[in-house]
Amino acid sequence: MRWVLIVVLIACVGLLLQSTVLHGLVFGRVVPDVLLVLCVYLGLHQHTVTGSFGAFALGYLEDAASGSPAGLNACGMLVVFVIVYLTCRRLWVDNVVSKVVLVFLASVIKATVVVALLALFATVRTEWSSLPGILLSQAALTAVVAPPVFWVLATTGIPSHRERE
Amino acid sequence: MEFLRRNRVLASTSVLLLLSLLLLSISVRSRPYQDPLADVILFAFSPLQGAARWVQRGVSRAWFGYVYLVGAHAENEHLRRRVAELESDVIRLGELEQNNSRLLDQLKFRARLQGEVRGARVVGRDPQHWFRSLIVDLGSDDNLRSGLAVLAPGGVVGRVTELGRTASRVMLLTDNDSGIAAIVQRSRAAGIVQGTREGGCQMNYLRRDVDVKVGDIVVTSGLDGIFPKGVLIGEVVDITLEHRDLLLSARIEPSVRLAELEEVLIVEPTVVHDPPAPLAPLDEGVEP
Repeated sequence: MRWVLIVVLIACVGLLLQSTVLHGLVFGRVVPDVLLVLCVYLGLHQHTVTGSFGAFALGYLEDAASGSPAGLNACGMLVVFVIVYLTCRRLWVDNVVSKVVLVFLASVIKATVVVALLALFATVRTEWSSLPGILLSQAALTAVVAPPVFWVLATTGIPSHRERE
Repeated sequence: MEFLRRNRVLASTSVLLLLSLLLLSISVRSRPYQDPLADVILFAFSPLQGAARWVQRGVSRAWFGYVYLVGAHAENEHLRRRVAELESDVIRLGELEQNNSRLLDQLKFRARLQGEVRGARVVGRDPQHWFRSLIVDLGSDDNLRSGLAVLAPGGVVGRVTELGRTASRVMLLTDNDSGIAAIVQRSRAAGIVQGTREGGCQMNYLRRDVDVKVGDIVVTSGLDGIFPKGVLIGEVVDITLEHRDLLLSARIEPSVRLAELEEVLIVEPTVVHDPPAPLAPLDEGVEP
């Protein structure tokens, strides 16, 4: 269970960075989603029930820290996890570029899910015209931070748990 | 069961997905929903967030401070150069202004003199005589000759004593060998203004009974045939008895600042029988 501790530690650090330092950088309104990178990592390498629980926990942690309705980001993370999980069973996603592209797409998917859920569950006034720009910017930024996060995870020597159905 | 076991990841994810949707539904419906975990996370994270913010601000200040400092340094250098240029311009313009003013005074003074007057620049001073002689840039090639009177807008300077082809030496009125026929402007008491060994000058050979007081203006009498009559020499600053108390001697403060002269006028001696009025310096405003 060492990998769980490592993921939790990285998640905490990522959340800390997302809520403080990364806000201070000049990226406008968007902040890279470090926890999403972890979720993609789980979808790629942890094909276990613990992996799915991890994705849920990451989303729930994000909900709790951001003040958004509980379950919103958890739902988004789970969708990302399952899509990545299904994708990597059919596609070879092992080099840096493909992982970066996957993170970019995962970010877009998660944001889409979150917006859809908000539209479905809450009466939130959204500036639809500015949404694609923010969404893509956040996806790009998250994709940029993905390689160092993957590198850190790789250096910790977390074993990959891939199950064959 | 086998299906569930084989697809346990998907199954667990589906359950969690449903759970999260349920959570979302509850939290949205019962707004403001207070998540107990959110309180814990907030409590746990707030000190860390504070520390991270503090570090971030420190780094940010240091970085931007450095960037601004680099910019300020470049701007400072630019402004320093500009200030140096402007200071140089100010000095140059001040010098031009002073030259202009001096030459204008000289021109006005020159217009008041009779006979041939030539302007000359002071090009050197005799270091052995402690400013008691000057070198001017006119010489025998300029038809200069020894003994000519040298004046300035302020008054008497001295006379030409040595001639070169292109330069001449002017003996100042403060030189020990200098002698100028002079009169006290107010009382018309006559005497000779001579240089002293101390570098000043005094009016000698004044009879004991003449009317001379401290503050009297001394001008040339024109009797020596060198200096035009009525040119200011200086002001009496002290009076002493000399030659066994038979004669008076008046110490004179020269009206011209000899150490600061830059241009002079060289005047041909003219015999003036009855000049209209003594020449006073323009800036002194001394009335005859």
